Amino acid sequence: MRDAIEMEWSGVPSVAIIHEAMRGSANSMRRLSGVPDYDFITVDYPHIPTAVWSDDEVREVAKEVAPKVVAALVKNRG
Amino acid sequence: MSLAQELTFDTYDEAVESYLDRGWTDGLPIVPPTPEKVAAFLDYAGLSADEVLGHVPTREVTVNAEHVAVNAVMAGCKVEYMPVVAAAARALLEEKANCHSTTGTLSGAAHAVIVNGPIRNELDINCKAGCFGPGWRANATIGRAVRLVARNVCRAIPGFLDRATYSTPARYSFCFGENEEDSPWTPLHVERGFAPEQSTVTLHSVMYMTSARDSASRDPAGVLDSISRTVRAMGVTGDRWLGKDTNVVLVMGMEHMRYFAEAGWSKKQMREYLFPKLTAPSGKGESPVRLGKDDGILIVAAGGHGMSETWVLHPHLAWAITKPIDLA
Repeated sequence: MRDAIEMEWSGVPSVAIIHEAMRGSANSMRRLSGVPDYDFITVDYPHIPTAVWSDDEVREVAKEVAPKVVAALVKNRG
Repeated sequence: MSLAQELTFDTYDEAVESYLDRGWTDGLPIVPPTPEKVAAFLDYAGLSADEVLGHVPTREVTVNAEHVAVNAVMAGCKVEYMPVVAAAARALLEEKANCHSTTGTLSGAAHAVIVNGPIRNELDINCKAGCFGPGWRANATIGRAVRLVARNVCRAIPGFLDRATYSTPARYSFCFGENEEDSPWTPLHVERGFAPEQSTVTLHSVMYMTSARDSASRDPAGVLDSISRTVRAMGVTGDRWLGKDTNVVLVMGMEHMRYFAEAGWSKKQMREYLFPKLTAPSGKGESPVRLGKDDGILIVAAGGHGMSETWVLHPHLAWAITKPIDLA
């Protein structure tokens, strides 16, 4: 989360992809970074949080999150 | 001048209960950090309240000496321990100690505070039998103070920025000294560039601890082969940011150590023997050992007689940092 925020601060459009299990920490990090409304998107189960995924699973996740990444990038720009 | 907010309580019990209720402890009662005690700790270490010991930039955290003194009092330290706690805090806040990651990781990494030099004996820091466990005030409270700094100052609060899946009992406290007196080797701090009479702390992140237990081997190579198998089973983490700055700590007890003393093996020889074995490509049932250089293998003499074992402190993503203990 912080990486994405710092990338934004350096002028690079960014979005953090967070596992649902980490939602609380992501919320905490954006709050203490002073950007409580900075958007992020989540990946949920059955994909495990540590992202040790098969190639097929990676493709499945990518298809799922790609549109959300685009939407979040546009929203964060606004 | 104190920077801290002052709270007033009518009784000792009320203060202790309030700190527990506010989530300012590790779940154990604390010693109330009265202004007088905090001032005495700072004075003993020759530190001003606002002296900056380091930062955790990703958490918007700046750690000053008063923060550390407050938590050292809370942990139950004697005033004489404050320079050790301050040095450990400085180590924790070095960039390659990677405080953000090592205190937030899912793996629940702990931190080992390894003390070298004359201060071990002056403060009665246990280096021998039982040195990883309870029973010595210095070990117990110095290690606890470092964890309270991580929690109360660096925001490593479980469920907040500490995301440990299980965490570990070693996060209550983990501090021991090197048994320099019974060791045939150059002490850790001297290997890392300090004079023998300079006391130091070395802070090492510990993701896992495993025991290389081997009662059968009677020679250095046999013992090191057992250690190699143990390290390779769990591996050593690393990443692009750390590059070659990865390490593993081997804590060798009296039973294994004597074979090296008898055969005249130095720590350097041990590293040269181990490094190619550890870093050979991992096979089935093994994990990669991402050691970039042989001086990433830190060997520490500690522990008592009895079990023929060497403890392996597998790191999280950090480089072990050694800091001098500055005595005012």
